[in-house]
Amino acid sequence: MLKQPAYQNVTPEIAEALAAIAGKKYVIYHDPENLEAFSHDEIPGTEYRHMPEAVVRPETAREIAEIMKLANREKIPVTPQGAGSGLSGGAVPVRGGIVVSVDRMNKILEIDRKNMMMTVEPGVISNEINECLKEYGLFYAGYPMSLETCFIGGNVAENAGGGKAVKYGVTSRYVLGLEIVTPTGEIVELGGKLVKNVTGYDLVQLMVGSEGTLGFFTKIILKLLPLPKAQADLLGLFETLEQALDIVPQIITGTGITPTSIEFMDKNSVKAACDYLNETIPYENCGAMLLLTFDGPNMEQVENDYEQVGKFIEKHGVQEIYVADNPATTERIWKIRRNIGEAYNIISTRQSGEDLVVPPAEISKMIAALQNITGKYGIMAPCFGHAGDGNIHARLVGPPEWSDDKWKKTLPLILNEIYEKTAELGGMLSGEHGIGHKRKKYMKGFVSEEYLNLLRVIKRGLDPNNIMNPGKIFDFF
Amino acid sequence: MRIAVAVKQVPETKSVKMDPETRTVVRQGVQAIINPLDLYAIEAALRLKESCDAQITALSMGPPQAVNALKEAVAMGIDQAVLISDRAFSGSDTWATSYILAAAIRKLGGFELILCGERATDGDTGQVGPEMAAALGLPVITYVNHIHELRAGTLKISRLVEGGMEKLALRLPGVITVVKEIGEPRLPTFRGKLKAKKLDIPVLNLEILQLDKQLIGLDGSPTRVVKIFRPEIVRRCHLFRAETETQTKAAVEAMLALMNREEVKSA
Repeated sequence: MLKQPAYQNVTPEIAEALAAIAGKKYVIYHDPENLEAFSHDEIPGTEYRHMPEAVVRPETAREIAEIMKLANREKIPVTPQGAGSGLSGGAVPVRGGIVVSVDRMNKILEIDRKNMMMTVEPGVISNEINECLKEYGLFYAGYPMSLETCFIGGNVAENAGGGKAVKYGVTSRYVLGLEIVTPTGEIVELGGKLVKNVTGYDLVQLMVGSEGTLGFFTKIILKLLPLPKAQADLLGLFETLEQALDIVPQIITGTGITPTSIEFMDKNSVKAACDYLNETIPYENCGAMLLLTFDGPNMEQVENDYEQVGKFIEKHGVQEIYVADNPATTERIWKIRRNIGEAYNIISTRQSGEDLVVPPAEISKMIAALQNITGKYGIMAPCFGHAGDGNIHARLVGPPEWSDDKWKKTLPLILNEIYEKTAELGGMLSGEHGIGHKRKKYMKGFVSEEYLNLLRVIKRGLDPNNIMNPGKIFDFF
Repeated sequence: MRIAVAVKQVPETKSVKMDPETRTVVRQGVQAIINPLDLYAIEAALRLKESCDAQITALSMGPPQAVNALKEAVAMGIDQAVLISDRAFSGSDTWATSYILAAAIRKLGGFELILCGERATDGDTGQVGPEMAAALGLPVITYVNHIHELRAGTLKISRLVEGGMEKLALRLPGVITVVKEIGEPRLPTFRGKLKAKKLDIPVLNLEILQLDKQLIGLDGSPTRVVKIFRPEIVRRCHLFRAETETQTKAAVEAMLALMNREEVKSA
């Protein structure tokens, strides 16, 4: 069996070489206090953290190319990092070495109104894209929930999904072209400002979702849509979770209307979030909530859409429906959905955030199984997420009275059972957070050895020395 | 029993920007909502309705689009709504507004209780409630945080005052303005929205209200905005390096001197 040749450490000479490439100001070395910030993403706890030996903050593709050539020559691992807001450890330098942060590459290079496309650098904050497009009547439809912090580069690397995927799909749908720096330090352009393009393999889509293992994205060409000018939300309270989930696939087929997002929250999530927020919605007798968003070119159309869907769910045993059609009310009802995580952080810090995805019609069965399994082990498992696209964010929460040891021993058993059921329903390990190193060991339960071999062939072809973000998704050897 | 709730449509404060040239609020492209503090008055009215057989009417003075604020109130559970609107009313300050609102309430007639929010988030004066009571010749209680009971035409309430609470009885008819502690406002329901959409909202204009033109609009407004300015925040930051002992000593001394100058008292 092949073995990974040993990586080298970042010596003072190499740190100097990095400084010669990117400028002394933009290299952090021998400075644990400042390096620490680059040792983690947003997974709670410290288990998945790892310190880098050096951090470089380049400004151009050329600088990155030189760093990669140096790293290949010296056999030093390089991990790309955006905002560090990921949830799979994708940007964590698990083998040490160099972190290349793209935070300085944060320019919006072009807004091409005629083609309805834009070109950006990877370090642009995703939220800023839409802030800046507003005045042109355009918008970018990728929408991870962490949009105020995350970078567009990270969104592309993880193929971020988020709440609006029901109507708009995920990030990959909007990436038309990339300028990349390959793991061996070549600068290559993929795709372009083209809606159709079959000139060679679709390497753009190979790069989207590659979790920083196949290349740096130094320019990103995004497809834009006309900005929806109006938005409204419905919050439906249901007696049981089954009722709420069973209606989800029927909403679209029954009304012919595709909501922008269909989010669900089970009883535990609702209770925790409402208690945390002192929210007075009468949720005591409600077993689940559905949060539906509608958007469109004007309020008349949005009103027409939500009225039809509202009438449809009224016929299917909803307890109450609330309507938000202005920023104040919208904020109040979305707050419930967004604060579930925060609410559970107060209850217990022993948590594992899951990102399961099943065919949308199987979501009801998946949640029943989740409740069954977690109930058996006596842990809490609030379920919430994107009901419209089958993506469930189950948060496994260990009882506060458990010891750390018990939690560490029991969690893998629970996860194995959950993943087994997910696979049985035709589902996958991660819908939008990625594998990183957090979920790597569970890959085999979902994909075949032949599939993993294909991934290896691609990775080895592009990165023969396994320099770029090693230790992620699958084992190189 | 008939209850009136006065509401105002205001710009959504989170998105409000000031024009640095004209120093006025940029209203263009800003979404309008019900004054958030008026939602508590609506909630108080709806809770009263649950305990007695009341009919609630929401009133709003404003441009034609203020009808949306009234519809939102109806979607929350208010029974009826009346818009008070006329070009001649524009430019009214709190005094003229109170005069017009009072005339509308008189015209509609028969209200035993008039509820208002504490103040509006745009003008921030809190004057319209009490001024309207004065124009109507009715008693008024402000800052009401709890309604204890309504019996035999008397409302028992408590109001928040600096350093405590007052318990008072109000013989109706009367006006109260409520604070947040009265209860978290409910959300507009889907059924309510459909009802509001169909509801015909009558408009009371100058002709119907037969008001003295000298007492409304800019002419009827004694308030003069002389100057609007943004208070400047000046921070004088001193950074002291404390890497060596001498530096630390110097920093401590400089900070002590600064605290003496600024009269910082030790806790």
